[in-house]
Amino acid sequence: MRRFLDYYRQFEALAPEEVSRELRERRDEQRARAVTEQPVLDLASPAWHEPPHAEIVNAATFALRRAVNAYTDAGDLAGTLAARHGVEPGRVVAGHGAGELLRAACQAILAGAGGEVPIAWPGWGHLPRLVGEAGGRPVGVPLGRDGAADPASLAAAAGPRTRAVALASPNDPTGGTVDAAAIRRLARELPAGTWILLDAALADFDTAGGDLAALTSELDRLLVFRSFSKAHAMAGFRAGYAVGPLGEQELLARLAPTLGVSAPAQAGMAWATANVARHLPRRRALAAAQRERLAAALAGSQLAFPAGTGPLVWLSSAAHTGAELAAHLAARRIFVTPGSAWGDDRHVRVALRGAEATDRLAAALRDLPD
Amino acid sequence: MPRNDPTDTGGLFIGRRPGTAPLRYRAAPERAGERRRRADAALAALVLALETLVCLSLWGPQPVAWLWIGSQVDYRTGSISLALLVTFAGMLATLMLTLALAARMDRAWRILRRAAGHEQQQGSLSRIFAVTAIVVLVAFSFWFAIIEGPAPSLAPR
Repeated sequence: MRRFLDYYRQFEALAPEEVSRELRERRDEQRARAVTEQPVLDLASPAWHEPPHAEIVNAATFALRRAVNAYTDAGDLAGTLAARHGVEPGRVVAGHGAGELLRAACQAILAGAGGEVPIAWPGWGHLPRLVGEAGGRPVGVPLGRDGAADPASLAAAAGPRTRAVALASPNDPTGGTVDAAAIRRLARELPAGTWILLDAALADFDTAGGDLAALTSELDRLLVFRSFSKAHAMAGFRAGYAVGPLGEQELLARLAPTLGVSAPAQAGMAWATANVARHLPRRRALAAAQRERLAAALAGSQLAFPAGTGPLVWLSSAAHTGAELAAHLAARRIFVTPGSAWGDDRHVRVALRGAEATDRLAAALRDLPD
Repeated sequence: MPRNDPTDTGGLFIGRRPGTAPLRYRAAPERAGERRRRADAALAALVLALETLVCLSLWGPQPVAWLWIGSQVDYRTGSISLALLVTFAGMLATLMLTLALAARMDRAWRILRRAAGHEQQQGSLSRIFAVTAIVVLVAFSFWFAIIEGPAPSLAPR
């Protein structure tokens, strides 16, 4: 009889409470496991780690829902960008990010003639390749002790074959900045006709240095490149612009993409530029706060980085190589860019995120063996 | 990671509708052969028929039985109040007992149906209860209005 009843008991379905209990136990087990798992912390990418302002996405989405069958007109955007720097709209060229505009500038300036391009180094990692692709020869010029480009060294490196010099402010990877006076001095000391390519992709993090793009009104061989990938958190839009001097419309036209920038990118750039006060101060403050937080956490240790601006930190240790630092952090699932990417074996580049990430980085660095 | 993907609903509308989850057993049942399944199917039909009869008893036999008992109480005690109390309390008590019995039969029916090879999720008690109520109501109305005819004051015999 018991066997007979057991046969039918096996067809009794589990009550919803029992099913839920089983699922809850599985969830608790997964959560418990998640606590012990260390998530990956990517501090290698220089792109901003948060999404862009929601209104930027809205503006881009709105643009996509309009007449995307038509070619775009960059006129309004150029006006908005120019107004931010107090220059004429004809001196502003929107493009697919500062990197593409720098590539176009190298091609335009070096085309046919080649020549040397002294680059404040370590600087933006792709620049030497872009110079080489354009037929030029990149020449690394060491930075000053503060991690910023040294105008005197750049000027000294410029010779008769020099067509342009390149520097960044704030500098990627060190965060060092140059001010308007330094750029003016550099322009004065360079041989006549030499272009200054100023990569200002991180400039939105720097308020102390002033608006270097406005210098194009007084320096006739200055090109300033701005990006939306960093402080505007729009790396996926591939959006940037260049500002050049008066009377160089032909050169500026060669920097522009053949048929302009996409409608969503234009809409996003226009909103971001017209509303900088709504979204940049918070990120600027966050980057500065994390720099200070990391500096405070590393005070008294063998680790140090130049005081600078922005979310990128050029970290070194008195007792470890950059490769050792990167390997030590990677073992704790924190990924940074080894300095070997710039030919430097003493440093690593760290892209700062929020306070939690900074604390985890600091804790991992404190575990470094002597 | 940026989370501005418009298709990312945060979990809303993902998964099945409530009450449509497949049956979950404590362990995968070991099913018997075809003959046993056919016998289980026949047994399930029998249980369903009994369940229907039990439900039907709620609408006729049980109230009539309690009215008879109430009349006996009235006859023996001479108290109409006590008779009414016994009738209603008794009807309520047997209603509860009948429903408890029907619920057990319904559970047995579900298990037999599953043993017979059907994915039987729900019982049939609520449907039987509703259908028997409607059938009895229709039958009573037919008897009252057609067979028995209107009240004598309206259509004296």
